[in-house]
Amino acid sequence: MKRIAPIDIAGGILVVAFLALLPMFAASNYLTGVLTVCVIYGIWASSWDFMSGLTGRENFGHSLFIGAGAYTAGFLSSIWSANPWISLPLGVVIAIAFSLLVGFPTLRLRGPYFALAMLSASAILQRLCLIFWEYTGGEEGIYGLDPLMKNPLHYYWFVLAILAVTVIALTLLAQSHWGLLLRAIRGDEATCQAAGINVTFYKIVSLMISAGFAGLGGALYAHYQLQVSPPLFSVVVSITVIIMVYVGGIGSIYGAAVAAILLTLLTEMLRGFGEYRLWIYTLTLMLILFFLPNGLIAPLWRRLTERLR
Amino acid sequence: MTDLLEVNGVTKRFGGLTAVKNASFTLKKGEFTGILGPNGAGKTTLFNILTGFMQPTTGTIHFNGELVRELAPYKVVNRGMARTFQLTRPFVGMNLLENVLVACMSPRASEDKDKEARASYLLAQVGLGGRDKEPVETLPYGDLRRLEIARALATRPDLLLLDEPFAGLGSSEIEQLAQLIRRLHREENLTILLIEHKLREFMALVSRVIAMNFGEIIAVGPPEEIVKNEKVIEAYIGKTEEAHASA
Repeated sequence: MKRIAPIDIAGGILVVAFLALLPMFAASNYLTGVLTVCVIYGIWASSWDFMSGLTGRENFGHSLFIGAGAYTAGFLSSIWSANPWISLPLGVVIAIAFSLLVGFPTLRLRGPYFALAMLSASAILQRLCLIFWEYTGGEEGIYGLDPLMKNPLHYYWFVLAILAVTVIALTLLAQSHWGLLLRAIRGDEATCQAAGINVTFYKIVSLMISAGFAGLGGALYAHYQLQVSPPLFSVVVSITVIIMVYVGGIGSIYGAAVAAILLTLLTEMLRGFGEYRLWIYTLTLMLILFFLPNGLIAPLWRRLTERLR
Repeated sequence: MTDLLEVNGVTKRFGGLTAVKNASFTLKKGEFTGILGPNGAGKTTLFNILTGFMQPTTGTIHFNGELVRELAPYKVVNRGMARTFQLTRPFVGMNLLENVLVACMSPRASEDKDKEARASYLLAQVGLGGRDKEPVETLPYGDLRRLEIARALATRPDLLLLDEPFAGLGSSEIEQLAQLIRRLHREENLTILLIEHKLREFMALVSRVIAMNFGEIIAVGPPEEIVKNEKVIEAYIGKTEEAHASA
């Protein structure tokens, strides 16, 4: 439907190239590791934005899909000693299964049911990890996952490539007729019904897509940390992802990815401030969201490139 | 001519209030029928029931010989019954073309392969040609009504239900919109059911009237007869002492 503007493609290539080369300038495994986490947050944030940003149905438990993907990797790689590469597709499948479990009963309804159900489902999973500690390792989680690649720099590039593919795929979908329907659902469900559109179907499938990418990100995270633990399911992860999307500019997808990378970097850089870190971070977020309710990244990029379109 | 729509004993109660009481009527293919009645007569409730937005308390609705009661609204649309809303509900943040495009994505329009071309054609059909990229936010009321009709047409309906299309429009806008509706009825062979309480425009358009008052159908017939019908006059003007005395 809509073509992606050449300037957006150019900007995307530049950002990815910059990110790919960044560890070369300051060769340290620490920086590479931080960047890997940044990029994985990018996958989580853009996948949240696809469903919730486009349809306007806020998902307050994205960590459910992230944790599902990560624990799938944990069980497979550490407990059943499977080939670590199997984690990625199976992490996607399990996350999608969870999206159906929560999405089917709640996405038919209007109102806050979906948001609340997602929030509680992720909290329940976190509790279940503790209750069935014999299998899940309880608080400690699961240790000793195999890495996907020996060289951390290679793994970083691999994860970066997956982020690029995620953003491209979700952007193309968002700009297709499909994405148009999702935005229409955000606008007015009754009008969509009157236009003959099965609103529930489109909401569920978009949640499945969102969950699949989040699960993939979860599995990638597990194989970076080489361990998984219950806080992956926590509401803190979900809220962090939502904040990233709002800072990026809701519904833009690329904005969510860039904001996720910048905010994760910011938290790392603020480590030097010790206990003031959270104060500074929170204040920065509040200022951004107060003065720029439409977000920072995507609106800024559109402003900057207005004349080149 | 066969019956396209068959409404049988439809009643809708909201708690103690009966909004529609035992309504029965049929629509034949190609007919242009209007539902007439003062505010609160139950016209819009009846529309909502027909299109699946509300479920009747009792009664059945057959469309094209199929029972449509308890179908979700989007399913009713995909069986060929499309509606417009009295308060227009465009998709804000989208342009005119995109607004119609959404309906072109319905299963019923699956044979229209080039969705953009179809949506653009429909906009031209309702008199909004060449304005595809305009945002809906700045559209005047009359044009919003046209947009609603284009969106309904995108689902290729057999029966088009128009909910007070003239409400809030000026007289020249009404005349133009009436022409459009008349043309659609003639050229596209659409069966149309229209709600209105503006008598003059209404009577000039439709060939058959279903008059309602307090949720009940009080008269059915051609417009010439309806305007002389005692019950209808009573519903609109009210019973007077003199009318009593002379009767």
